[in-house]
Amino acid sequence: MTVTDVPIATPSPVLAASRRRGRGFAPVLPALALVVVVFVIPVLALLLRSVLEPEPGLQNYAAFFASTTYLKVLGNTFLVAGTVTIATVLLGFPVAWFLAIAPSFWSRLLFAIVILSMWTNLLARTYAWMVLLQRTGIINRTLMDLGLISEPLPLINNLAGVTIGMTYIMLPFMILPLHATIRSIDPAIFQAAALCGASRWQAFTRVMLPLTASGIAAGALMVFVMSLGYFITPALLGGTSNMMLAELIAQLVQSLLDWGLAGAAALVLLVITLAIYMVQLRFFGFGQARS
Amino acid sequence: MTFLEISNISKTFGKVAAVNDVSLEIARGEFVTFLGPSGSGKSTTLYMIAGFFEPTGGDVRLEGRSILAEPSNKRNIGMVFQRYTLFPHLSVAENVAFPLRVRRWPAAKIARKVEEMLALVRLETFADRMPAQLSGGQQQRVALARALAYNPPLLLMDEPLSALDKKLREEIQDEIRRIHRQTGVTILYVTHDQEEALSLSDRIALFNQGRIEQLGKGRELYDAPRTRFVADFIGHSNFIDCTITRSEGESADIVLPDGGTLSGISLHGAAVAGARAGLMIRPDRLHLSALGKPAGPGIDAVLSDATFIGETYHFVFATGWGASVNVRIPASRVRPDDVTIGARMRLHWEAADARLFSQ
Repeated sequence: MTVTDVPIATPSPVLAASRRRGRGFAPVLPALALVVVVFVIPVLALLLRSVLEPEPGLQNYAAFFASTTYLKVLGNTFLVAGTVTIATVLLGFPVAWFLAIAPSFWSRLLFAIVILSMWTNLLARTYAWMVLLQRTGIINRTLMDLGLISEPLPLINNLAGVTIGMTYIMLPFMILPLHATIRSIDPAIFQAAALCGASRWQAFTRVMLPLTASGIAAGALMVFVMSLGYFITPALLGGTSNMMLAELIAQLVQSLLDWGLAGAAALVLLVITLAIYMVQLRFFGFGQARS
Repeated sequence: MTFLEISNISKTFGKVAAVNDVSLEIARGEFVTFLGPSGSGKSTTLYMIAGFFEPTGGDVRLEGRSILAEPSNKRNIGMVFQRYTLFPHLSVAENVAFPLRVRRWPAAKIARKVEEMLALVRLETFADRMPAQLSGGQQQRVALARALAYNPPLLLMDEPLSALDKKLREEIQDEIRRIHRQTGVTILYVTHDQEEALSLSDRIALFNQGRIEQLGKGRELYDAPRTRFVADFIGHSNFIDCTITRSEGESADIVLPDGGTLSGISLHGAAVAGARAGLMIRPDRLHLSALGKPAGPGIDAVLSDATFIGETYHFVFATGWGASVNVRIPASRVRPDDVTIGARMRLHWEAADARLFSQ
C-alpha cells in the first residue's frame, strides 16, 4: 500500500489506522525476508528430513530416544549448560555489582575488558584456552613448579575444559543484563535497609536478590539457551566421552551423512529451548526480563 | 542529660572540609533542624550520625555512648530519605514490617505494630498497595512509618519533602509535627527551606561552609542574627553600606554614604574605625513618614516601585547614593492614595532593630 492510494480529502480512521500499521511494518520486511530465507526455510527443510528420511515416519525420533549414547549426549548437554549457567551467575554477579557501584574509571575499565573479550574472535579465544589448559600449558606448569601437584591435571578434552572455556565465553551475556538491572536500583535503598537494621547478608537476600531476580533470570536464560546449542568450544576443549548435542548433529551430518537423525536431534534441541523460554516468560514476563 | 552529643565532628573529602569541627547538644524529644544552602555540610553531618560516612575527627554520643564504632544497622536509628526508598518489591505493610522482620520479632507482634504505624500515618487502607501505586507524599508517609516502627530513640530526616509540591509539603509538615508530638521521638531534620525549618523546629542549626553559623530558636535567628550570613539567609534583609567611625565593644557609630551619621548601633564582628560595614534592617521593621519628621534613626529615599501582594505592600526605595532598600508594610496600614512612585519619604527604624555587620 502506498500513500497515494488514500484520498486525502476524506480521511477514514480505519484506512489511516491500517496505513499506520502498514507503514510501521514495512521497514521490518527486508530483515524478516532474510530470516525466512536463510533460517526458517533451511531449518524447516532439516526438520522435514527428520520425518521423511530414510522413509516417512518417526523412526528417527524413536532411534534417538532409544539410544543410550544419544541420551547420554543429551544429558551431558544439560549438565554442561546448567553448570556453565550456575558458574556465570556466581562469577558474574559480583562483577555486575562492581560495574554498577565502582568509581567511573574502574567501572569503565572493567566494562571495556568485558566487551573487548566479547568482541575477540571466538576461535582465537578457544585456542587460547587450549594453550592454557593443555598438559604442558601455563596452568599445569605453574602448579607443578609451585609443587602443588606432581602430575598435570586433566583440564582439557573433558568436562572441566568445556566448563572453564564456556563459562568464560558466556560470562558477558550474564554480566550485561545483570548490570543493567543492578544499575537501575537506587543505592539509597540499601542505606535504608541498613538503617532498618538489616545486616549485609539480610540486605542481600531480602532486598538485593529479589530486586535483581529478573536480571538473573534474563542472563541465565540467555546463557543456558546459548550453551545448549554451542559447538566450537565443546568441540575444541571437550572430549569424545562428553560430547554435546551440537557436536553430535555435526557428526551425524558430516561423517555419517544421516540427515534424518540429525534433523531429529536438532528438533529435540529446538523444543527444549522453546520450552525453557516459555517457562521463563511465565515466571518473569518478557517486559520484566528486559527492564 | 544531653541525649545526643555531637562533639567536634569533622569530615574531609580529599582536601575539602565538608564538615569542619561541628559541636551540638540535643535534648531528648527535641526537634532540631539543620538548615543551610547545599554543600554547607548539613547532610554530611546527618550521614555521619546515620553511619554512611565515617568522620575524620570528633565523636557522636547517643545517651552517653559513642555510636561511631557501630555499623548503621546496629545503631537503631530511624531515617527518612530525600529520595523514595521504599522496597519496591514489598507491599506497604511488608515495608513497615521489614525492620521488625530483620529483628526477628514474633509474627503477631509485627502485625500489631504494622497496624499501629499505618494508623499513625493514616494509611491503614493502603496496607496491601505496592509502593509504585502510591503518590510521592504517601510513599514518604510509609517511609516515616517504617522508620518509626522499631521505636528508635532518634529519627533522622534528610530533606524528606523536597520532591513534593508546595501544598503537599505543607500537609506533610503538619503530619510530621503531629507525629513528633504523639511519639515524643527526637528528630534531626535537614532542609534548605527556611520556612520548613521555622515551622517545624524547636531549634535550628544554620550551617554554612561546613560549620554551624548559629544555633538557636527560629525567632532568635531571625531577631538576633550573629553574622551577616545568618541575617541574609533567614528572612529578608536590607544591608546598607556604611563606614564605621568609632567602635567600642559591641557598639559602633557609623557614617552613611550621604554623610548622615548614626551612633550606638549594635555591632557583630570586629571592626575598627574606618572599616566598611553593612547596616542590616529587616524590610518589615522599616517605617515610612513624611520628610522632615524626625522619628529616630532613618534615611531619606525615593519610592521606585510598589507591589501589592495581598497581606502586605512591598515597596522598593532608592537611596540618594543609588542603593535600593526593600520595605514591607501590612496592607491595612497603607492607603492606596499614599503610594506615589517618585515620592520622597523618610525611612526610619527603632534603634534596636538595626544591626551592624563588619565585612
